[in-house]
Amino acid sequence: MVQEVERYKKPVRILHWVHAGAFTVLFLTGLVLFIPALGFLAQDSWTRIIHRVAAAVFIIAPLIYLPLDWKSSWKGIKEAFNWGMDDVGWLKAAPAYYFLADEEAMPPQDHMNTGQKMWWLMVIIFGVVFVITGIIMWVFKTVAPAALLQWMVLFHDIAFIATGVMFFVHIYLSVIHPLMRPTKTGAWSSMARGKVSAEYAKSHHAKWYARIAKGEEKKS
Amino acid sequence: MAEKAILYDSSKCTACRGCQVACKQWNMNDEAIPTIENGVDSRNWGSYENPRDLSPATWLKMRFTEYEGGGKLQWLFTRQACMHCTDAACVRVCPNGSLYHNEATGFVEYNKDTCTGCGYCVDACPFSIPRSDRNLVFGNAKMDKCTLCTTQGLNRLDAGMEPACVKTCPPNALIYGDRADMITAGKARVSALRANGSPDAVLYGESELDGLHVMYVLEHSPEVYNLPVNPKVSAASIAWKDVIQPIGWILGGLTILGLGINFIIARKAKMNREQPVKKEEEK
Ligand code: HEM
Ligand code: SF4
Repeated sequence: MVQEVERYKKPVRILHWVHAGAFTVLFLTGLVLFIPALGFLAQDSWTRIIHRVAAAVFIIAPLIYLPLDWKSSWKGIKEAFNWGMDDVGWLKAAPAYYFLADEEAMPPQDHMNTGQKMWWLMVIIFGVVFVITGIIMWVFKTVAPAALLQWMVLFHDIAFIATGVMFFVHIYLSVIHPLMRPTKTGAWSSMARGKVSAEYAKSHHAKWYARIAKGEEKKS
Repeated sequence: MAEKAILYDSSKCTACRGCQVACKQWNMNDEAIPTIENGVDSRNWGSYENPRDLSPATWLKMRFTEYEGGGKLQWLFTRQACMHCTDAACVRVCPNGSLYHNEATGFVEYNKDTCTGCGYCVDACPFSIPRSDRNLVFGNAKMDKCTLCTTQGLNRLDAGMEPACVKTCPPNALIYGDRADMITAGKARVSALRANGSPDAVLYGESELDGLHVMYVLEHSPEVYNLPVNPKVSAASIAWKDVIQPIGWILGGLTILGLGINFIIARKAKMNREQPVKKEEEK
């Protein structure tokens, strides 16, 4: 049997998939207002109702998770803001790696690599932007000044474009990119089953692996 | 058909509100007051202006303004209804083209069936005209505003008639015709007013927002009547529709293209690297 290490505990994985599901629904029901050719799908407001149901899930899911485990939530959030020189190195080495499968120049990575961290940071920041602008357009639609509502759509759209584009990149790099296959050892496995092979952890997340190997840190 | 317009002459208007009634009647916009059985939605709030605001079933209402100028009190009247702008903010922000210009007349018409109820036009209109009843929880809504009597199935213009409000106006404060003729008539009236004790008289709408299709002859500056002096499509609407959204479409397209190219190149690179390993395995 391949030796495996735990990467994401079950509650984190449930949160990830619930949030990913809500995001996908929000993305699609928002897209119909963004692309004029798809606008006919939004006719009679029914996508708006779905957008709101999914928005409720999008907002409530993290609020349920946070108090369940303040400590690892806090640790996870801090991770998104923890940037260093190895991240610069990663960004420089990434094109050769992702295009030419050249691992040479990749600096050792921590629990999350720079790309994952970038996405995670965007999820936090734009998640907040989505929620604030979305709630204003939803709840205060009839009372807020028209000018405010117009700016809210604009910022909602900026968040949509930024996260929408990265959403594709995220899915692509987790399950479609040739180097991520077969999917049973790496990123997909970490979110689907919570575990990755020790081999994968060592080669892709050397700093993190060094810590778990010493027993300093078990899970996150 | 040439570009058309309504010309409203505030100095001739008696505020009888016949146009308000004709508009409701022709467009079948009855409005019942919930508190009075079979009543109309009008109640005394200390002004002849009634109802108080536009609504999905009130597309036109007269606005009353008390104005003190030159030592006398004046009671001024204006219309409050869609101005049928050439550079129409509502048309710009409508996500799926439910609001559009009639190519021939220049009027801003809409297809209520395809309206998504987003309410963007409500917030974007510089004259604050479109209205919708909105379910605040689920957000479902339908927008309504003056169609200039082009409502589907009730189209007066196609039938060769003038708009209902114009038809009914007793003092001919409302007239309808080719836009060029309306401008000529409006200018002539403004000159006459200026020569007869109203030096501030203006024709409102000739060039505002690239030309309105409802123009007003006013005896005073537009702001006296609560009209925007220089109506504009808001900066937020322009930044959103002309900058952010095109950037979004381009970024989205490039991303999908880029990922596709990456897939092809990376797959080849990966196969090249794996080949030596495979050959060894074969031995
Ligand atoms: C989390 C809470 C969210 C709330 C409360 C929310 C709410 C709203 C509201 C009220 C609107 C205005 C139009 C309408 O009423 O239909 C809207 C539009 C939109 N939403 Fe959201 N939303 C949320 C999250 C998201 C997410 C995560 C995405 C996409 C990934 C998204 C994408 C969009 C898009 C594309 C539009 C249309 C903007 C346009 O017209 O260009 N929303 N949202
Ligand atoms: S007045 Fe308002 S609703 Fe009418 S065309 Fe202009 S922007 Fe649209």
